[in-house]
Amino acid sequence: MSIKIALAGNPNCGKTTLFNALTGSNQFVGNWPGVTVEKKEGKLKGHKDVIIMDLPGIYSLSPYTLEEVVARNYLIGERPDAILNIVDGTNIERNLYLSTQLMELGIPVIMAVNMMDIVEKNGDRIHIDRLSKKLGCEVVEISALKGTGIEKAAQKAITLANQKNIAIPVHKFAPEVESVLDVVEQKLGSDIVKEQKRFFAIKLLEKDDKIQSQMKLVPDISKEIEQIEKLFDDDTESIITNERYVYISSIIGECYTKGRKDSLTISDKIDRIVTNRILALPIFAVVMFIVYYVSVTTVGTWATDWANDGLFGEGWSLFGLEVPGIPILLDSALTAIGCADWLHGLILDGIVAGVGAVLGFVPQMLVLFIFLAFLEACGYMARVAFIMDRIFRKFGLSGKSFIPMLIGTGCGVPGVMASRTIENDRDRKMTIMTTTFIPCGAKLPIIALIAGALFGGAWWVAPSAYFVGIAAIICSGIILKKTKMFAGDPAPFVMELPSYHMPTVGNVLRSMWERGWSFIKKAGTIILLSTIVVWFTTFFGWVDGQFRMLEDMEIDHSILASIGSLVSWIFIPLGWGDWKSAVAAITGLVAKENVVGTFGILFGFAEVAEDGTEIWGTLAGSMTAIAAYSFLVFNLLCAPCFAAMGAIKREMNNAKWFWFAIGYQTALAYVVSMCVYQFGTLFTTGSFGILTVVALLFFLGFIYLLFFLGFIYLLFRPYKESSSLKLDTKNFARAK
Amino acid sequence: MPLTMVKAGEPNVIRKIGGKEETRRFLENLGFVTGGIVTVVSEIGGNMIVNVKDSRVAIGKDMAIKIMVN
Repeated sequence: MSIKIALAGNPNCGKTTLFNALTGSNQFVGNWPGVTVEKKEGKLKGHKDVIIMDLPGIYSLSPYTLEEVVARNYLIGERPDAILNIVDGTNIERNLYLSTQLMELGIPVIMAVNMMDIVEKNGDRIHIDRLSKKLGCEVVEISALKGTGIEKAAQKAITLANQKNIAIPVHKFAPEVESVLDVVEQKLGSDIVKEQKRFFAIKLLEKDDKIQSQMKLVPDISKEIEQIEKLFDDDTESIITNERYVYISSIIGECYTKGRKDSLTISDKIDRIVTNRILALPIFAVVMFIVYYVSVTTVGTWATDWANDGLFGEGWSLFGLEVPGIPILLDSALTAIGCADWLHGLILDGIVAGVGAVLGFVPQMLVLFIFLAFLEACGYMARVAFIMDRIFRKFGLSGKSFIPMLIGTGCGVPGVMASRTIENDRDRKMTIMTTTFIPCGAKLPIIALIAGALFGGAWWVAPSAYFVGIAAIICSGIILKKTKMFAGDPAPFVMELPSYHMPTVGNVLRSMWERGWSFIKKAGTIILLSTIVVWFTTFFGWVDGQFRMLEDMEIDHSILASIGSLVSWIFIPLGWGDWKSAVAAITGLVAKENVVGTFGILFGFAEVAEDGTEIWGTLAGSMTAIAAYSFLVFNLLCAPCFAAMGAIKREMNNAKWFWFAIGYQTALAYVVSMCVYQFGTLFTTGSFGILTVVALLFFLGFIYLLFFLGFIYLLFRPYKESSSLKLDTKNFARAK
Repeated sequence: MPLTMVKAGEPNVIRKIGGKEETRRFLENLGFVTGGIVTVVSEIGGNMIVNVKDSRVAIGKDMAIKIMVN
């Protein structure tokens, strides 16, 4: 029979590191049913029948965060055979708070005190034997980062699970509280097993309505609650919290000897500088500059060139050995076996060109993700959220929204996924909706194409694209905040900051790979499929009433051309109402970098460089500079690629919100592009028409929403929060 | 006095925590309990990093103002 061991502990206590060390690559990652909380399961190395369940990092078993509810439902409902409670040794007092709650669940508990190496380095001592005796459970010392003691901890957990040696909480609260708990326990129905009685009694006393809804019989204990609240002059939940901390302080003195005299740790000293009011922003700017300089220009360019021109191009050299590129290899292989023309075309022009263009971004993206993973793991990213909170709060977002946007500069898919760390429901939804406004790696070729073809490679085009993205985020924040759905202040910023530490290479690489993989996966699935569709609709069509494969120059007859002509009128107000641009924008929904490739195919080039140098002349001849900029803006802001839309759908976890997000993005893109084109044309040529008036109306409406509506709002509803969207309490505070 | 008025490095005793219930509970879980000791590590524009029960917690100005210490 298999054994289930649950890993439980505070956020940042080294739980994930321990989980990775215990299970290796033998992991299964998914979501807890119905919620977007990550569920990680794995088999213990060398033990096929031992399953390790990584519970989300939590501070308590209260009902206030999604993670806490998920974790405690698992612990009560599934009843694992043992709990391995990881405790951060450098912060033992706070960590024991959760431990006291875990021990009330009636499940065998073993405690692993982590970061023992740092504790010793600080000159502190934790007396494991005394701690074990005081708490009534086995305690082992480990260092998850260095891998010491973890096997012993796992072995003890297995032994404990086999013995079914249920932890009996030896900690007691004040006699008055205990006597009330006894009464409540007596009143509990028979559906609650004996060893869980204390847990349920405490939760009932705390007036935890989520627990009440899980019970068949809810005894009436209002009298007991009233009695104890009167006695302590506090609400029951605070009484219990206090009792726990009082108990912990009563034992901590014997179990923990503080060695250091200096009250400031190294992390505190670093924080004094890094989050200093004068230095914080300059330091942040320098760090970001280094990250992007390295991952976009130096290492990034080298890696992208290798992937695009080498692996998926002419070929590359490996220590002097010439290795031909994949298209060339495939071409000769397909010719050798005498493959049919259409299949040859499908594989080379369709699949390899399409998927290859997407995979070409992977190396650069991975370099960026290594940096971001390092910044996250060492603890700096949490400080960034803190520093940026001051600025982001001004337009209705939380500092934690900044991290998804930073990751979104690489790829929107992991960016949207990173929004999970934002606990407040409204803040998270708004972040999901706005993250993809930031130009991702795949939008850079479009920028390069437009800048090169229409603006003679002007330096300001690329920065202006980022500026448009940031402006879209700020304006969206301000406007959305005024709608009923998002009204109210962002949740107060409360976040635990982990100690600075050097992350392990393995953890950084693992995090990089998890994010990169979500991008590669889309190349292998949705992009593969859609390149086939695009290829088919491009190269097949009706010529003189006959459906057949088309020659290169017959593209005007293709299915794609028919579709493009059908929808292109929509984009006439934006200045690019010809079918080719419309088709390019549509294929951009598959993957943004497709826009360049599609233009290439449509202008009669089988393959174009990443920035489409070959078609600059043709493109410049087909639209004005203003129209091209409007095209760029539309592609930057409109609904992202299918993969990112999928991520938005997953994270919103609600079809209505998904369509609202996509609709909002596309409508905003349309209006902004229209204003760009109409006003641009007005200023450059002086032409004024009915569409200029429409654009002007849109613009005024936008200004109205941005400023005036806010003014009225402030006038009539001072300090009053909307009651229509209550703060999602269960989703509230999660600090990571 | 509110936490925002405390000088960096000075340990203070928490007297009362106000604000919305969920936030208050979350702070309690993080170690902010009446009678506990809180030390300010650094402060930018009212937002602060404080030390509570050996852990570092960043709190926004709007929350810090509701934590009373002396």
